[in-house]
This record gives sequence, structure tokens and C-alpha cells, in this order.
Amino acid sequence: MKFVIEVDNLTKSFGKNKVLQGVNLRLSKGESYVIIGGSGSGKSVLTKCILRLLEPNSGTIKFDGKDITNISQKELFKTRLKRGVLYQGGALFDSMNVIDNVSFGLVYGYGMPVKDAYKVAIEKLEAVDLSEDIAKIFPSELSGGMQKRVALARAIATDPNIIFFDEPTTGLDPITSGTINDLIVRCTKDMQISAISITHDINSLKHISDRVGLLYNGKIIWEGTNKELLKTDNPYIVQFINGNPNGPFTNQD
Amino acid sequence: MLLVKIGRMFINFLSSIGNVTLFLTRSISFGFIPPYYWQQILQQAIQIGYFSLSVVGMTAIFTGMAMTLQCYAGFSEFTAENAIPSVVMIAMTRELGPVLTALMVAGRLGASMTAEIGTMKVTEQIDALTTLSVNSYKYLVFPRLLTGTILLPFLVFIDDVIGILGGYIVGVYYLNFNAANYIRNTFEAMVAWDVISGLIKGAVFGFIICLMGCYQGYNSKRGAEGVGRSTTNSVVASSILILLLDCILTFVLF
Repeated sequence: MKFVIEVDNLTKSFGKNKVLQGVNLRLSKGESYVIIGGSGSGKSVLTKCILRLLEPNSGTIKFDGKDITNISQKELFKTRLKRGVLYQGGALFDSMNVIDNVSFGLVYGYGMPVKDAYKVAIEKLEAVDLSEDIAKIFPSELSGGMQKRVALARAIATDPNIIFFDEPTTGLDPITSGTINDLIVRCTKDMQISAISITHDINSLKHISDRVGLLYNGKIIWEGTNKELLKTDNPYIVQFINGNPNGPFTNQD
Repeated sequence: MLLVKIGRMFINFLSSIGNVTLFLTRSISFGFIPPYYWQQILQQAIQIGYFSLSVVGMTAIFTGMAMTLQCYAGFSEFTAENAIPSVVMIAMTRELGPVLTALMVAGRLGASMTAEIGTMKVTEQIDALTTLSVNSYKYLVFPRLLTGTILLPFLVFIDDVIGILGGYIVGVYYLNFNAANYIRNTFEAMVAWDVISGLIKGAVFGFIICLMGCYQGYNSKRGAEGVGRSTTNSVVASSILILLLDCILTFVLF
């Protein structure tokens, strides 16, 4: 089977702190994989290593069969636009308005003329249920939910084949979270984009995941489908889902 | 124990120099490779050049005025008042112009640079730049280094002119010097090298302010406290380096 992402024996340490100790992960085309785990378990480090925002100590990361651990920064930059990222806080550029944020990758990455990039940006804003009216507004004037939507529009603007979602519903009310979850499902399923997400939100997890992996002690210790997650008697998963302070799972802060 | 502490401090110092050098090498080497971000360069030019004018102008005029008064207090005892215009001119162009301009710009611009880049770092905006296929060194650091190095000499020149003008105002309108004599005494003593050496200092200081501002911002720790600490470090490091390099450059350019 051909995978979009293949991660093998990935390790990453910060000084003596071994955060990742041999992570293996596979992602198929159009699949939505959700990584769960306690705070400080290394979920963000794992995604940053896969994106090569952090350099792993060892292991291989393949995108569409091509190992990206040994390619040059120049080659890496060429491939980055095919990977969208929705950051936890949105990470919108606060010195730019909404339309410049959404069209940023098109203008600076693809070198598209600004006029054409704006047209695409408006289409993407509409894809996340936002209108052209907010195009000239600055991110600081938007609500948390709208910022997430604009960030999602920016993430899909360059037509990526994989999107990374870092806690997409954190800090949002349940209804807005539901809307964001719907948008994520719509974007990934309709556009056949594969997705890797990090979340603590169990509702979001049930909504957006095809497959789930539990990261603990630097390794993925359980993996299964969305349905298997709710049926499993794995003590770590049961404790995590129920939010029970007592059990095998200890926080790794 | 003391030796261990000194050793550790020395290692930290060397590692800081190494990190700054690496940061600088990356910024410059990526900066010269196309595509060039002209819009960023223009924005920084406006920030560094245009918006610093008022601060630099005010510093210069008050310094020139105070300098003339102070000189008068001393020189009048030896009936050497005629030397005041040339002393003010030499002090402004060789020393006070570049140093005061640099210190004011370090406080105004170095701090804002660190705060802006630091906030971008902790809110993952720098990661977002990278994932949108834009090299952050090239987009954020290089335009600042370039414009800072080029524009600070201009600010120093403006500072020199306004400072000398401040001296003229006090000399002529308060101390009742003859206006024509004051101007003649100023320009008679002027040597091109006085001005040029000040402008060279300005370029070096501009580079240092932007380097420290960007480096500290890039290395901000998480949270408001982290960004605040980096901002303080940036201004302190820039100020100390400006004074240290001023001393060294004065020996070299004397």
C-alpha cells in the first residue's frame, strides 16, 4: 500500500530529555490521523519533526515515498507549500489583513501575481464560510473562531495534499468547535486531503478522526480506528477518554 | 567553585558568540539569494529612517544646545569662546552624533524589533512563514540588517546638522555670539574625515542594533515574560556594544 507519510523510528531529544523514542506512523491518502497524548508528551514535537521545523536526531520521514530527512533546505522549501498547517493559535500574521494572510503562500511561495492570489484567497475564504467583507480586516479584530477559519483558509490556499492541525478547537466554545470540526472534515474529505491532527478534545477526536494514535513515553503505544477507540479496554485509552486522574497514565509535564 | 563558575561563564560567552555568528551567516547568505523581498526592505526603511527622525532630531538639538552652554562655562574662563563652535562641531560629528543616534535608535527600534520578532516566534508566526515556504531569515532579518546599516549613517548626518544648529541657536541668540563669526568658526575647523568617521561609526552601530534586535527576538522564550526579557537583553546588549565599539572605532579612526 502506498502511503502519503511514512515515519520510521523517529527520535528527538532536547539535552537529556528524550521526547520521541522511536515513533512509527503511516498515513494513507485522504486519511485523517489524530495523535492524542498528555500535555508534554511530545505531540507538537512529533508534528514539527515531520514538518522539519525541528531536526530529528534519527529516523526517516517519507512524503509520497521520498525521504525528506536528508534533503537540502532549498529542496525542502519547494515541497513545503504542499503541506498546510493550522496552528493552535492560528499564527496569522498580525501585521497583515485577512486577504494578505490567506494569499501569502500563493504570492511569496508560488510567486503568483497579487490580483490572482486575491481571487483564490476569496474562494478559500468562502470555502470556510467567510465572506469577502472581512478581507481588509486585521486578525486582532476577529473572534477566536473566525481567526481559526481564516487560518484554515490560509492552510488550504496553496492546495496542499496534507494538512496538520494543531489543537484546532482549543479555546473555542462547543458550537464554534463543532463548526471548525465540520470544516475540517469538509476540507479533508471533499478535497481528498490527508490530515494529521493533535487534539485533547474528545468530541473533536470522534468527529474528525479516521485513525487515532496514543503517544506516551515517546512512542505510539496504541493505534486504532475511531470506532476501536471507543470500544477498546486499553487502560491508557480508557483513562484518557474518561479523564480519570488515576490510572497507568501519568502526565509528562 | 569560583573557577567552575568563571569557566561556565566563559563557555556561555563563547557559545553566545558562536550562535550570533551562525545567525548572522544564515541571515546574510540567505538574504543575497533571490527572490528579494523589496516590500519588506521598503517597510523597514520607513520604520528605521523616517520614524526615527523626530527622536533623533530632538536628541540632537538639545545636546547641541547643552554642549554649547557647557563649553561656554569652561572656555570663557580662558577667553577661548571662539573655539566653542568648532568644539561643538567636532564633538557632534565624531562622537555625540553617532553614539547618541545609535543609543536612541537602539531604545526605540531595537526594542520594537525584538518585541515584534519575539512575539512572532512565540505565536508560531515564524513557523507559519517557514511552512508557507518563506525563509524567515531572509524575510525578517536581512531587510532589517540591510536598512539599519544603510540608513543609520543618514540619521547620524541629520543628527550632526541639527546638533550644530542647536549650538548655533544658543550661541547666537542666548550667548550673543556674532552669527557670521559663529558660522565661520564652525566651518573653518571642519575636516571631511570628522564627518566621515562619524558616518562609518553610524553604519557599524546600525548593523549591531538590528543584529541584536533580531537575534534576541528569534531567541525569545515562551510567554510575555520571555519576550520582555529578550527586549531588555536586546537594548542592553546593543547599548554596551555601541559604547565598546565606539571606543575601539575611535582608536582605529582617530
